[in-house]
Amino acid sequence: MSKQAVKDAAKSMVKVLEKFPEERIKHVISFKDVQIERFQKISGAKMSTGAEAQKPSISDIKDIINRTSKPLGLSSKLLKEMQSSSPQEEFTEVSINEQIKALNNLMANKLKNYYDAGDKIYKPAGNPYYYQRLLDELEGKRKENIFTAFRTVVFGK
Amino acid sequence: MLHRNILRSCYRVNYTPLSTINQRSLFHSYAHLSAKENIEEKSPEDLVKHSHYKSNPFDATSNKPLQKKPKNDLLSLSQYESGSYQLPQWKNALGELVIKYFKLDMDRVRAGSIAGSYYYSLCRSPGLQYENEPLSEAAKFFYEDLKLPRTFSQWFQITILHEWILFTRMRAMPFKYGRNYQQKLVDRTFSDIEMRLFEEMNVTSSRISDQYLKDFNTQLRGAVFAYDEGLYTDDATLATAIWRNLFGGRKDIDMIYLEAVVRYVRSNIYVLSKISDREFATGNFKFVPPNETVEVLTPEHELELKQKVIEKYEAIDNKPDILPSERSNLSYKN
Repeated sequence: MSKQAVKDAAKSMVKVLEKFPEERIKHVISFKDVQIERFQKISGAKMSTGAEAQKPSISDIKDIINRTSKPLGLSSKLLKEMQSSSPQEEFTEVSINEQIKALNNLMANKLKNYYDAGDKIYKPAGNPYYYQRLLDELEGKRKENIFTAFRTVVFGK
Repeated sequence: MLHRNILRSCYRVNYTPLSTINQRSLFHSYAHLSAKENIEEKSPEDLVKHSHYKSNPFDATSNKPLQKKPKNDLLSLSQYESGSYQLPQWKNALGELVIKYFKLDMDRVRAGSIAGSYYYSLCRSPGLQYENEPLSEAAKFFYEDLKLPRTFSQWFQITILHEWILFTRMRAMPFKYGRNYQQKLVDRTFSDIEMRLFEEMNVTSSRISDQYLKDFNTQLRGAVFAYDEGLYTDDATLATAIWRNLFGGRKDIDMIYLEAVVRYVRSNIYVLSKISDREFATGNFKFVPPNETVEVLTPEHELELKQKVIEKYEAIDNKPDILPSERSNLSYKN
């Protein structure tokens, strides 16, 4: 009975995770994909092939390697060991419900709204368009060209 | 020598009741939060400790016995950075003369002692840990409560998370000063890492240490970029950035840990947003520890706090015998 309750809770967790926002650029590992896979295993559901279908192309891999280094400076042997190790964890219905609540809090932006840092931080006096430019670049709205990039390097903003 | 003097005064101010910005008494809750789940009443440590999730994360610690080396938990061996050092009177007077007659910009000069020394020591200490020695309170939160591996690389990740929190405030200073503060903080980080690699991690070749430094530099850039994206967009993005960097992307993550760290980050940035440029630039800040809760200021308390700060700095600026090293052009009203 309790096993079934854990499975049901894990299924709801997967549903919540599916609503988790997509990452704006590809990283070595995706939080959403890794966690959906983890909770699908617990729920006993058939593994979706979505993650496999979204396997990165060679150009994606090259791009990721150019952008990032090994996380935490770990050796590749240790990294492989970490990736292949299966998590040693125990779930109860209560603990999964806590996970769902925490994830919902994050997705509802509660902390950003509660600890509102205001324009002083989001439009910093020293560089008011810093975050907006970063986001525009990420969303592909406005790309830096060679001249604006040169200006950023020389003047710092 | 002047750096030491300024540093000492900022430490002193930091422990007086005037700098109570991060004390609970000044942070009273707003009643406007619609979702009443007592989200505002829990500290990050409380959140983590009340989690029912049980796990045994993969431990990346090598556990190899380290060759016993003299530990160096001091920021540096320089006497000017020691808390008990008193600068001789003649050196003090000479320094004041140099500042006065060469018209040195103290806001630029101060960056070395405040960002490069005091703020770096704040960022460095929460992650510090030594073999067979008890952990500090902040380190217990990171290594025991969040179950992070006790490695050098993990210490670096904890340090850059704190540095990035300070960067967000440094950007809000006038550009040339904020940039200088950021530069001093980063410079000091890498010189300290280099020193620790040789002295504590038994690295003997500069080629190997250079490789590590390059790797750490890449990590710093990646982390700052990801945290910035998270700060500006939403909590979910910030949580994934924390998961990738601080938690090394481990599968068996407790979402409550992520929520706790997001709370820790956002609450500290909130405190920073309420501090004036002058207070921040003179080192009147320390991180709110994970076992304390930051409550949002009511408009009345915010006004009261601003008034106190204005009175304090007006009194300093209007002193007839103000020392040249105490002068600053940074605003205390913002």
